[in-house]
Amino acid sequence: MNVIEINNLTKTYGKARGISDVSFNVEEGEIFGFIGPNGAGKSTTIRTLLSLIYPTSGSATIFGKDCIKDAPEIKKHIGYLPSEVFYYDNMKVKDLLKYSASFYKKDCSQRIKELAEIMDLDLNKKIDDLSLGNKKKVGIVQGLLHSPKLIILDEPTSGLDPLMQQKFFELLEEENKKGATILFSSHILTEVQRLCNRVAIIKEGKIVTVEKISTLKENTYKKFKIETKAPLDPNYFNITGVNKLEVKDNITSFLYRGNINLVMKKIAEMEIVNLWIEEPDLEEIFMHYYEKEA
Amino acid sequence: MNIFLHELKAYRNSTIIWTISYIALIVIFLSMYSSFSQDAEGLVKILGNYPEAIRNAFGINIDNLVSIEGFYSFPLSFITLCAAIQAMNLGTSIVSKEVREKTADFLLTKPVTRSQILTAKLLGAFVSLVMTNILYFAGASLMAFQVKTDDFSLKIFFLLSLTIFFVQLIFMALGIIISVMVKKLKMVLAVSLPVVFAFYFVGAFFDTTGEEVKRYFTPFKYFDTAYIMKHAGYEASFLIAGAVIIFLAIGASYFVYARKDIHAV
Repeated sequence: MNVIEINNLTKTYGKARGISDVSFNVEEGEIFGFIGPNGAGKSTTIRTLLSLIYPTSGSATIFGKDCIKDAPEIKKHIGYLPSEVFYYDNMKVKDLLKYSASFYKKDCSQRIKELAEIMDLDLNKKIDDLSLGNKKKVGIVQGLLHSPKLIILDEPTSGLDPLMQQKFFELLEEENKKGATILFSSHILTEVQRLCNRVAIIKEGKIVTVEKISTLKENTYKKFKIETKAPLDPNYFNITGVNKLEVKDNITSFLYRGNINLVMKKIAEMEIVNLWIEEPDLEEIFMHYYEKEA
Repeated sequence: MNIFLHELKAYRNSTIIWTISYIALIVIFLSMYSSFSQDAEGLVKILGNYPEAIRNAFGINIDNLVSIEGFYSFPLSFITLCAAIQAMNLGTSIVSKEVREKTADFLLTKPVTRSQILTAKLLGAFVSLVMTNILYFAGASLMAFQVKTDDFSLKIFFLLSLTIFFVQLIFMALGIIISVMVKKLKMVLAVSLPVVFAFYFVGAFFDTTGEEVKRYFTPFKYFDTAYIMKHAGYEASFLIAGAVIIFLAIGASYFVYARKDIHAV
């Protein structure tokens, strides 16, 4: 079942670019990554899903309901964490969280305590006195306190130290295990790689691809680096799938995409000193999508 | 209900400060009444030498000046001016402060409709104004009883005081429509002060010509104190004009706010 279905969503701001024809689905129970650099349209898409802004054309459904028309109903089950959190400065953390909880018709006080403990958040401080990282923690607790079925995160990790980031990710994985679906927007690929099952890559307001992280990696090249005793004849690896062959003294390096056995046989026939085969990380895949059309 | 209470709390301090200021103002003014009433004739003579335009601009009405109600209409115009600023501030800030303080994302991702939010905020502002006026009237009438020399009509005193509230409602409605139309409002006072003063001076200026129609241009002239004292009531046409303005501005605000894009900060 699809928790989020986005159909040809378009939002234009006058002449400035927004998003155009964005379509993808997020299935129930998955952690879905939404990646792209700043200004690619991630926030625009998310803000439309939350009916903070209205689409120029196209539509989206969440839990099978229209995200504009049924917004209040949908939002009962959504937890949202924006990239920058701002709250009523003169309130105490405790009161802000209580205020937030008062919008959901259930008792969240126990969950608030638990979450605050996990995130190491002092509930008695004034929001005004909190550091950026601590405000972010308030945001996390605020987004999760009603045990939402769908968690929407818009570049959530900024301002969190690595330790807190780790705790936060564990928290998300735990929520996910309990059945929550997560839409995770980010431009930091390592965190997407760590958490997500599938990703949508957005570029200049358009979806470039929607793939499983594993497929994304399979379908791309591997990096080979071979050290030999003497410089290699550049024509030796003249087989299809080899790219960017470089021979530099005794080191030969190239990118390969295709049947791995072919290239392994070739290597087996040689006398080699050392061999490195590397998976490209998401970053390189990402750059690949970005350079392709550039 | 939770938004309403939150809003009410947010306005509490400013409401208290405004209310205390009005009461202080009226106490000071009314305390001058006893010495004034003794010298009334001399003063009336002096004031009579001022041009009528200036007297009208300050709300001085020679014929009624000697009675406490007539004396009251003089400070009333100042208090109405301040009260209009308070109401306009309130109206302008209810939507714009969420954008300015960047809390709109928090509120608008909660399971409530935009109309529910606006209604709760409107009610919060409305109740703040009602409280202001109740406390002010209590203070002002108590003071009037202290200083009165003759019997005076509490009804007329009340009707005069109530004009503050009507003017406030009009300016609050104007503030709301402005705040939902503008994309981002950096400073509430930068909007409310010029607007209120513009209407105030337009009122003072137009009044000199004495044409009835021109009174519709500024809410400050909707309630003529001389008329209220004479008839113990309001002019229906201006009451209707005020109600229409409030109704249109608030209706339009709902319409615009429900369709407005809330942009990231």
